[in-house]
Amino acid sequence: MNKRVLLAAVLVVALAGAAFAAYEPGDDMTVGFIFVGPIGDYGWTYAHNEGRLAVDALPFASTVYVESVAEGQEGPVIDDLIAVHGCDIVFTTSFGFMDGTLDSALRHTDVIFGHASGFKRAPNMMTFMGDFYQVYYLNGLVAGALTKTDKVAYVGAFPIPEVKRHMNAYAMGVKAANPDAEMHVKWIYSWYDPGAATEATEALIADGCDVFAFTEDSPTVVTVAAENDLLSFGHYGSQMYQFAPNHVISGQAIDWGSIYVDFLQKVYDGVYTAQNIQNVDYWWLMSQGAVYPEAAPGVTLNPLFIDELKAYMIDDPVFGMISAFDLHNLRLAQFSNPGVTFDPFQGPISDRNGNIVVPAGMWLSVDSLITMEWAFENVVGAWPGEPE
Amino acid sequence: MNWESWIIETVSRALIYGTPMLLGTLGEIYAERSGVLNLGVEGMMLVGALTGFAVAMRTGHPWLGVLVAGCVGAVFSVIHAFASITLRANQVVSGLALTFLGMGLSGVIGRAYEGLPLWSKLGKVSIPLLEKIPILGPAVFQGQYPLTYIAIGLAILMWFVLYKTRIGISIRAVGEDPATADSLGINVSRVRYLCVMVGGFLAGVAGAYWSVAYRTAWSGGMTAGLGWIVIALTIFAFWNPLWALGGAFFFAAMRVLSFRLQAWLPPELLNAMPYILAIVVLIVVSRGTLQKQMGAPSALSLPYTRGED
Repeated sequence: MNKRVLLAAVLVVALAGAAFAAYEPGDDMTVGFIFVGPIGDYGWTYAHNEGRLAVDALPFASTVYVESVAEGQEGPVIDDLIAVHGCDIVFTTSFGFMDGTLDSALRHTDVIFGHASGFKRAPNMMTFMGDFYQVYYLNGLVAGALTKTDKVAYVGAFPIPEVKRHMNAYAMGVKAANPDAEMHVKWIYSWYDPGAATEATEALIADGCDVFAFTEDSPTVVTVAAENDLLSFGHYGSQMYQFAPNHVISGQAIDWGSIYVDFLQKVYDGVYTAQNIQNVDYWWLMSQGAVYPEAAPGVTLNPLFIDELKAYMIDDPVFGMISAFDLHNLRLAQFSNPGVTFDPFQGPISDRNGNIVVPAGMWLSVDSLITMEWAFENVVGAWPGEPE
Repeated sequence: MNWESWIIETVSRALIYGTPMLLGTLGEIYAERSGVLNLGVEGMMLVGALTGFAVAMRTGHPWLGVLVAGCVGAVFSVIHAFASITLRANQVVSGLALTFLGMGLSGVIGRAYEGLPLWSKLGKVSIPLLEKIPILGPAVFQGQYPLTYIAIGLAILMWFVLYKTRIGISIRAVGEDPATADSLGINVSRVRYLCVMVGGFLAGVAGAYWSVAYRTAWSGGMTAGLGWIVIALTIFAFWNPLWALGGAFFFAAMRVLSFRLQAWLPPELLNAMPYILAIVVLIVVSRGTLQKQMGAPSALSLPYTRGED
């Protein structure tokens, strides 16, 4: 081995070491984002991109992103973000990226990973989620009050616990306002499929439903409902309001930036490193400001419906006769208060097969929330994976 | 839930959902009948969808959007035609490249249009007297897009041209045995180019229907695999435009039904139902005497050079 080859080898190793050098607290950071859909979906990915922009605004962070990465294909993309773009932190933003992210985390032990909506972690991989179930409960309250046919609808993506949890919270809100109402469900087996969402919505309309909520990353359900003069809730932010300003009552909005900024600030300060985030699990709800109900920017409930909500009286077991409008705002205040005094999933709750899923006097733990499979009493329709 | 409203709803939705499938299939049938396999349908549809949406938005004329989308689709398909006819490249590769090119181009250029609402969209129409016919009226003649009727008319016209006119004979000859066709004085290249462009035009129109009529918005990848279904439907229709009518609307009806029936049958099964039924029908139809008459054009996906065997 002559000296030149040895020198070259040393240089390569040094450079490689420099390329893969771990992040030091106080340094500027490059943050990579992997999105499962297009930014323009006005849904899940759009919201994550808004969070990314909040990260970009931080003085010490710059961002890189890749959109429309199919679930299962994230491995090479992560490798590319780390090797070519020098990312110190990588966020993967879909449940289906879970195993690929864990795999990459175990291979790149100097890089910090964050996985949205999953449950597997590593010393350098944390999980985070802003969950909507409280917001869906609030939406359900209003839906139960406004439905004329006593049939509300939910167009669901996949029958996984996350979607079922949102559906059940919505159904519970509906029942609290309207014990006679049914919640009809259709599944489209995709996070993004405007064609399937259209046909599912049309099928629900044919079944007689008149208020629509959904888990799908486009304004399709909103526009199809509006074409038939039916009401809906926007999903993932108030951008959907513009498609049907007279038919969107409220909706679920999320501020992923609040979670991203909180986490990255802690990484910058050296609180979180690539060795100690095994147990970091952001489960942020309304009280942390991560999620909130919203019809349009700055507007919680569409003013067109407020009079009707004030006139609709609910006989609540705790508060007596109270208008839907007041009950909605009361629950909203309860959810926003860090000293939690109410949860939709507080017992006693029975599923639609008559099983008691939450006994009286108890609440559901986060573990039970993220593994939920049952269907609430007033749910009508297929429910794959339902326990007997 | 009476059976009358079921039939009306299902047929009506099937017509609406199946129109882009029919349009795309008709175009692909002509392309493949002339011997050129065009796998770029998905890309052409996306480009057409974006073009249609953009033109409709900027000019306020949805029909102009549809027309321009068709033309853009045709121009786009010339890339594939040039590669596979003039350069005699591998048609599978060229078609797939067209798909990715279309997906990428439409995604990048379409970013400016994502999330914008379209106010000047293609409206639904109802045919005045015919819609009064019991059951058939509301199912077929009420609340449909004009493009649906155009597509059905096109299917009949294109069938007639393909089987009953000299142009059709030329097309089929070029697809079955280009050497013989060439010796008879038919310009093989020109016929193939034109057929591919017809395919591109109709794919563009199908894409525009998706974004200007069916779901008046644009977002990247919005056709979500429709192009691949079209390619499958071409085979399912045995390269016959009339059968494409039946095939496209049958497939669409299955898809629509799969949502209506979710309360009674497992959704996973219903999701697979259109594809399973397509396979079942193919098996049943391929047996027996029909098999002699049905079959892919013999020269499909084979480049032709004068003087080569």
